[in-house]
Amino acid sequence: MNYLIPNFIELDLASALQIVLLGFIGGVLSGFIGSGGAFFMTPGMMNLGIPGVVAVGSNIAHKFGKAMMGSRRHGELGNVDKKLGAYLILASFVGIRFAVWINGLLFKSGGGGSHGEGGGDSASNLYISAVFVCVLSLVAISMLRDALKSREENGGGPSMKIANYLARIHLPPYVSFPVADVRVSLWILMAVGLATGYLAGTIGVGGFIGVPAMIYVFGVPTAVAAGTELYLAMFMGAFGAINYAYQGYVDIRLTLLLYLGSLAGVYVGVYGTKVVREVMIRIVTGSVILLCVVSRGIAVPVYLRQLQWISFDQKWDKYLNQGSKVMLFIAGIAGTLLILHNVIRGYRQRRRIQSQILRVQEAT
Amino acid sequence: MQIICLSRGTLSGGKQLAERLANKLGYACLSREDLIEAAIHEGIQVGKLETAMLKPGLFNDRLALEREHYVAFTTSYLCDRAKKESLVYHGRTGHLLLPGVSHVLRVRAVADSDYRVKAAMQQLGVDRAKAQRYVEDVDEDRRRWAHNLYGVSVEDVTQYDLVVNLGQLSIENAAAALTVIAQLPDFQMTPASRKVMDNLQLAANVRLSLCRDERTRRSSFRVRADNEIVTVTYLPREAQAAKAIQDVVASLQGIREVRATMASTNLLWIQEEFKPQSNVFGQVVEIATKWNAAVELIRLNSDGGATVEPAEAESSPEMPPAVRDASAPAYNGGIEDDVDETDMEDDGGLKIALDELARLGRSGGGRRVFGGQEQLLNVIDRTASYSLVVIGDVFLDKGHAAQTRLSRELQGLLCDHIRAPVVTTDELKTQYLFTKRDALRLLGFLSLTFVIYYFVFTHQYSILRFLTGNDWKDRIVAAGAVVVLIPIVAYLYGNVAKAFLKLIKME
Repeated sequence: MNYLIPNFIELDLASALQIVLLGFIGGVLSGFIGSGGAFFMTPGMMNLGIPGVVAVGSNIAHKFGKAMMGSRRHGELGNVDKKLGAYLILASFVGIRFAVWINGLLFKSGGGGSHGEGGGDSASNLYISAVFVCVLSLVAISMLRDALKSREENGGGPSMKIANYLARIHLPPYVSFPVADVRVSLWILMAVGLATGYLAGTIGVGGFIGVPAMIYVFGVPTAVAAGTELYLAMFMGAFGAINYAYQGYVDIRLTLLLYLGSLAGVYVGVYGTKVVREVMIRIVTGSVILLCVVSRGIAVPVYLRQLQWISFDQKWDKYLNQGSKVMLFIAGIAGTLLILHNVIRGYRQRRRIQSQILRVQEAT
Repeated sequence: MQIICLSRGTLSGGKQLAERLANKLGYACLSREDLIEAAIHEGIQVGKLETAMLKPGLFNDRLALEREHYVAFTTSYLCDRAKKESLVYHGRTGHLLLPGVSHVLRVRAVADSDYRVKAAMQQLGVDRAKAQRYVEDVDEDRRRWAHNLYGVSVEDVTQYDLVVNLGQLSIENAAAALTVIAQLPDFQMTPASRKVMDNLQLAANVRLSLCRDERTRRSSFRVRADNEIVTVTYLPREAQAAKAIQDVVASLQGIREVRATMASTNLLWIQEEFKPQSNVFGQVVEIATKWNAAVELIRLNSDGGATVEPAEAESSPEMPPAVRDASAPAYNGGIEDDVDETDMEDDGGLKIALDELARLGRSGGGRRVFGGQEQLLNVIDRTASYSLVVIGDVFLDKGHAAQTRLSRELQGLLCDHIRAPVVTTDELKTQYLFTKRDALRLLGFLSLTFVIYYFVFTHQYSILRFLTGNDWKDRIVAAGAVVVLIPIVAYLYGNVAKAFLKLIKME
């Protein structure tokens, strides 16, 4: 990969279009499952040869703007508990700061090359990939397990063991949140905020901890959890963008290209939720995330080799990188096509019903 | 026939009051426990539903269907009992099963905390601290139940006709007072209120049939009934199951027509007079078609106040002799107007509008509400998923200034209680349809967006150099520039995308 200036790749039309496509797929998945789509966009950008820390920084800046637009709508519907958001924001800022510090430190410590080539960022790429694989594999497996259990038992919900355990622990002081209609221990609030901020700052993904934690641990209604998470994402995105931009890791071009795709893709994804059953949404989401995790896992040996922790022929780097990229795009495109298929099928069904109504009118 | 719904607070003496009242009036007494037992016998998993209501994280599609089944069954059961005999029902929120039925006397029995804690200590044999925690926990559970099932606060006194404080008033005196109030014309069955109850029961029976049939029991449906016309709304993903609707309800009595509407969401339109040829009707239909929404109509007839003198009031033969005093002048509660048959037939174009919507495949059902804002609020289903609420021409009997003021008040009230945008018909076109103003905005935002993208991509090197300054001051400026530029781009391009989708009618 050629660099325009250190850390920032040269963008030709092909790579620019790939980033727009990444944004579109990320947007569709984001609208469909309610997360930010970073679980797809961050590794996708890394597959294109963008250093991991720049991918995270650019994505978190993109998240800021997108969340700002989305939270306005949720706010109009009364789905944002600003008090809850404020508590989580404070803790998440600490988490983000910590994540930016670690990422920056690892990036500057150098070691190996970026994504198969000589020069700099293998340590941070490896760290980001490791966190990505560990956290998102847990998310994907638990999502798939719960979805398959729901299907078999025809109604089983997600496991409540952790939530029930935390509910039994008495950890004052407690804080009441009137909009969300819950009372939560301050310590648990801080822990969730820290974890959300740390993950958002490390891999750009915060919603997979934040939203389930609000629903299953705090007991917040789903709509309020989603709205509050968007509100939180707006501030986390802003703070993350400031921190990464200060370090010089935000590529504004990537952020703008992601917007071209994502803001349109979100509408398609949201429509998809109307035509697909909840269980299927969870199965598709879990499968796509799992494939993204596998794709990232395939790239890990390259970073290990660059850091000289393992050794194998360098020519294998190209195949591993290509394999990772192909797998990621297969995951994203397959998920998007499945959603588009259901959206188009739903649209055609509507048209068919409307035609039938017109035919009946003409006949009478 | 009469129904008295008594909502009892935890250990407030409500059960004793209900039993005493039923005894005095000679009415049947039905408790929530009886209703739950019948629901369990029906096969509804009430226990799981209660747990899920208290922990929203547990709620999934399966339990949402269970909730629909529960509401349909309990509504049908209560209506059925209420039609056979006069009834005192005591529970949590029975009155919410009968929204808009004017002959329901809605009572809330409360007592102060000290009274209830003492009652808990006596009943459960525990100390004060444990009794206090028990009362608080049960209060909290009941509050969540009402909030999650009906979208209302059980403590909101505006939903009751009367609140009785049993900490201050003895059960005997409270029952005596309620006995007198129950005789008031406000709470007697009228043809209009009977019709409302018939509609509720019919809708509940249809929903129940769909819950019981193998072909449709795993699908979610929304059912409305008005004058023997049943409207069933379903999401696109339930289209396969929806084919069986006509078949499933074929055996039910009292159905003139079944209309099935596939819709992703619902639009609520409140107006006094509906005219299918009007521009507003066309605009609402256009939005509904774009959004694949079912349009639910409410005819708000605010003329003449909230209650009516029954044309043929049904008197209770079981009324105790002490209440019936033939020598006293008949008390009419200050009511001025009757609703006679001609008034009932004048439905303000509701039927024609519903027929037209059904013809277009957009019907979400309709109903009439007599009264003001509070009556309207009682009738609206707070758990329904409305994407938009439109307030048309209402309060037509008032002057222009008063009409505008009352409409705005109504808009504010609905905004507070319904989680959906609430607009007037004037705002409808400007906010939801593509107009010339939107075209100008689209061009403007598109131009600005293009300028920004062009600038960034033709000056990549300089911009990236600026963003990676060496000096800490340069980096602060760079960070500030990023934080300012990003929301501007998101706002501009987001509005371009939104306006474009509005133009191609896909937003």
